[in-house]
Amino acid sequence: MTEQHAQPHERRILGTELLWAFGVGVLIAAILSVVVFTALTRDINPPSNVERIDPKTLHLSGEFAEQNLGTTVARDGGVTVRIITTQFMFAPRCLVVPEGRRVTLRFASPDVIHGILITGTNVNTMVVPGFVAQVYSEFTHSGDLLMPCHEYCGLGHSEMWATVRVVPESEFKPDLDGRVACAQR
Amino acid sequence: MRNVERLCLAHFWVAFAAFLAAAVLGTWQMWVRSPLGANVGTPGQYFLSVTAHGVSMAYVLTIFFIMGFGYFVAVTALGRPLPGKLWAWIAFWIAIIGVVMALVPILMGQASVLYTFYPPLTASPWFYIGLVFIVAGSWIWCVLMLVAMRQWKRDNPGRPVPLAMFATVANSVLWLWTTVGVAIELVFQVIPASLGFGQTIDAGLARTLFSWTLHAIVYFWLIPAYIAFYTMVPRAAGGRLYSDTMGRFTFILFLVYSLPVGMHHLLMDPEHGNGWKFIQVLLTAFVSVPTLLTIFTVTASLEIAGRLRGGRGVFGWITALPWQRPTVLAAGLAFVMLGFGGFGGIINMGYGVNAMVHNTSWVTAHFHLIFGGSVVIMYFAIAYEIWPSLTGHDHASSAPLRMQLWLWFLGMMVMTLPWHWLGLQGQWRRIANFNYADPIISGWGPLVIVSLGGGLVLLASALLFVRNLVILHGGPLPALQRPLYALAVHPPQRVPAALNGFGLWNVLVLILMLLAYGYPIAQFVITPSPGAMVHRVH
Amino acid sequence: MPPTSASEPHVLDRPWRIWASIVVFGIVLSGVILGVLIIPVIQGRSEGIDAYTAICRALGILPGSPAKQQVSDRTPPTPVSQVVWTPDVLQILADARPERGRAKVLEVCVACHGEQGVSVAPEYPHLAGQSGAAIYKQLSDYRTGSRTHESMTIIAKDLDEPTLADVAAYYAAQPKRNPNPATLAESPPAIVRLVELGDPSRNIPPCAACHRPGSGGPIETPILSEQGQDYIVLQLKMYASGERRNDVYGRMRAIASRLTQTEINGLAAYYRAGFR
Repeated sequence: MTEQHAQPHERRILGTELLWAFGVGVLIAAILSVVVFTALTRDINPPSNVERIDPKTLHLSGEFAEQNLGTTVARDGGVTVRIITTQFMFAPRCLVVPEGRRVTLRFASPDVIHGILITGTNVNTMVVPGFVAQVYSEFTHSGDLLMPCHEYCGLGHSEMWATVRVVPESEFKPDLDGRVACAQR
Repeated sequence: MRNVERLCLAHFWVAFAAFLAAAVLGTWQMWVRSPLGANVGTPGQYFLSVTAHGVSMAYVLTIFFIMGFGYFVAVTALGRPLPGKLWAWIAFWIAIIGVVMALVPILMGQASVLYTFYPPLTASPWFYIGLVFIVAGSWIWCVLMLVAMRQWKRDNPGRPVPLAMFATVANSVLWLWTTVGVAIELVFQVIPASLGFGQTIDAGLARTLFSWTLHAIVYFWLIPAYIAFYTMVPRAAGGRLYSDTMGRFTFILFLVYSLPVGMHHLLMDPEHGNGWKFIQVLLTAFVSVPTLLTIFTVTASLEIAGRLRGGRGVFGWITALPWQRPTVLAAGLAFVMLGFGGFGGIINMGYGVNAMVHNTSWVTAHFHLIFGGSVVIMYFAIAYEIWPSLTGHDHASSAPLRMQLWLWFLGMMVMTLPWHWLGLQGQWRRIANFNYADPIISGWGPLVIVSLGGGLVLLASALLFVRNLVILHGGPLPALQRPLYALAVHPPQRVPAALNGFGLWNVLVLILMLLAYGYPIAQFVITPSPGAMVHRVH
Repeated sequence: MPPTSASEPHVLDRPWRIWASIVVFGIVLSGVILGVLIIPVIQGRSEGIDAYTAICRALGILPGSPAKQQVSDRTPPTPVSQVVWTPDVLQILADARPERGRAKVLEVCVACHGEQGVSVAPEYPHLAGQSGAAIYKQLSDYRTGSRTHESMTIIAKDLDEPTLADVAAYYAAQPKRNPNPATLAESPPAIVRLVELGDPSRNIPPCAACHRPGSGGPIETPILSEQGQDYIVLQLKMYASGERRNDVYGRMRAIASRLTQTEINGLAAYYRAGFR
């Protein structure tokens, strides 16, 4: 192929590549648009709290002391669940959440990195010692869900899981302190 | 060529020996965690195996294979001896010492922290020092690749560096950038903690530094497979490379966009604001571009080959391709796996859907399919393609090679597709034994067994692969000299410096890393998080 | 080489530099504008969060989500144990002197726990070769009232913190006895399974995952091998009933309350025999 024919043909080849690249760009833009759209309309964000807390003194006092763990209903009706992830169990082992209301879940670890997911939901977060992990969700069906630890935390990792009990509004009755606990442990 | 045979073979045999051992371990692991292995193996044994399997596949197989292949490309693509061959051997032995140093504590159960070794879980210091030695050896390789390209450019002023070498050097530059994250984590955080200097460690900073390496490393693994796609596959198919320019562009895009995206491994982590995560997700969308471009260019190249062989009609060229050649077959199978695995990657990238799959079996299935599947099958193809040159012998028949490739493909699909589904059901990862009596978990049992079946097929394929290489060391047929690399439809006479070197791109990578990772890392210094106590596992 | 009509490389370079920089910066800029400005501010509006706070939260400078109000703390209650594992506490343990501990042991502890850490009666635990951190924690908990015992509470209150560490270091340095090979031979498979595999259906991790030295579990975990059988049974019962509650976050209370009586007896026998 002579030099004179080579250049236009080479440009045609590049032209097809650029056309394809344009199509790729449209695909990328579509995917990113969905991310932006859900962020703006449904407040879909990755769990990001950046709240520092000392893992070594978690059990002493303050928010994550043992008696504070579990589900609490504040005076304004906000439901907050505080959970400790530790080697090799969740405290508390069973949580109660109401159906159909926004719930704030706050996790802390006194030792190593753990992680949680709740089956059947999009609740999923890592729990890194030094930070409070916080997620929001609204549970749409009543029943028992599984909340396992999903990040390797040591030799007992396989046995580490908790139960999330979603109860209808009528059965969700806080006591005088605003606490709600599972019926049996 | 006579120059580097022993060097390349040494690297490849270390890589493939680690691969075979890891394949055995992986199959055992799948058995233990299935309903069939309910009382087999303790967590101590299981997580020892997972650590050994991960380190062998993610670090030893890959680094040694890529180093060996790089030396081969440097000599064959540039047509000259390797500069600094003594240094190459020094690098090899440093890396080997590292492998031994890391392997011994693993096998003694003193380093069951998995290949991601997230602190505060802390293993024996020899494990980490061994990893540092392996990386140090690979850094010498990077320097040799850069030196080789520079010497060639000096002796061939104004000419474009052959694409295979350009891509190999792009990979070396990428690797130098990639390893900075894990090197800082190991040298300044983890190794001092494991030696007893300091009782606390900043877990958030360690995870962030590791994420820097964790994403870019998969492109380090992947680029040799793409080198084969662009240069060896069109040649094996009997055609030409559709566009050399787009080839160069692809490898540059990998260099630029592999690094400032590591935070998409931390999308569910509490230690970074969602603004930073969004920025890195946006950048992640762009790292999918080079793969999509490659699909077009390579398919077009194959179409040229098919039509040269007489294929007619819109799809007739596909059947006309020489599928009996292992390299061509591997590319086709790789593309199928790339389709599934790439789709999974796009899911992982969007943090809304990522929340459904993070740390479930979906993630494990994804990287086994995309890396273990499409990338490693191309490693097999490369090995088959260059083994005759290295050993001087050829295969009497390529049927065992094709059977091995088919077994790998089928095994990988059967193992990973149910695994993806299980991840969507919520099956979580890194588990030694499940409670199959639980109503939610019991439904998973049959699919776990199907995955195990796929794993057994993969083990058979791995054994057959090693056998196919071993027999060439004393094989009957002498190797025929054949060209390895395809010509482009329009071989470039001149290319801009931007497509012939990495000066501009290094500057852009530096700026991108400062923008994307600058504050996320600096925040750990500006506002130190309370340290977590070191938990020694030895 | 024949001359070509293509341009010289350096002339081709400048457009590349310019366009590459424009594209890369453009991508990052759009990421910043969308991710740090537009999305947080719009998300914050519906919850009444001002723009500045929303942006700071998106950058991680302030805690919380730009889309939701942040919850507030509750009042602090009584902790179950006052012991914190910090570098300072570990330094106290590292500075401890077994010789000083020996003096105190001969004065106070030997009557029940023996000079070598082999106790004189089944209700007192063996301390020979026990983890120093474990002994230190229990003594500290006795001192603060997190754990109670008719004798230990008074004894521990009389000791100051460096002495606690010295006593712990002394007993930790005592050698363990050699277990009887005959008793090591037999052990019911169900018990071995609990120790090595745990029971995922009951949330019970393998005992070995914490109690085997070198397993990477909590720092205060005691070594169980060669511990007295009656003592282990008693402690597990007290954990199960909640009478003993100085385990941080109820790890042992949760496990013990889900063990059957047979399992408790079996585990105690297993560890008394000397298995690690």
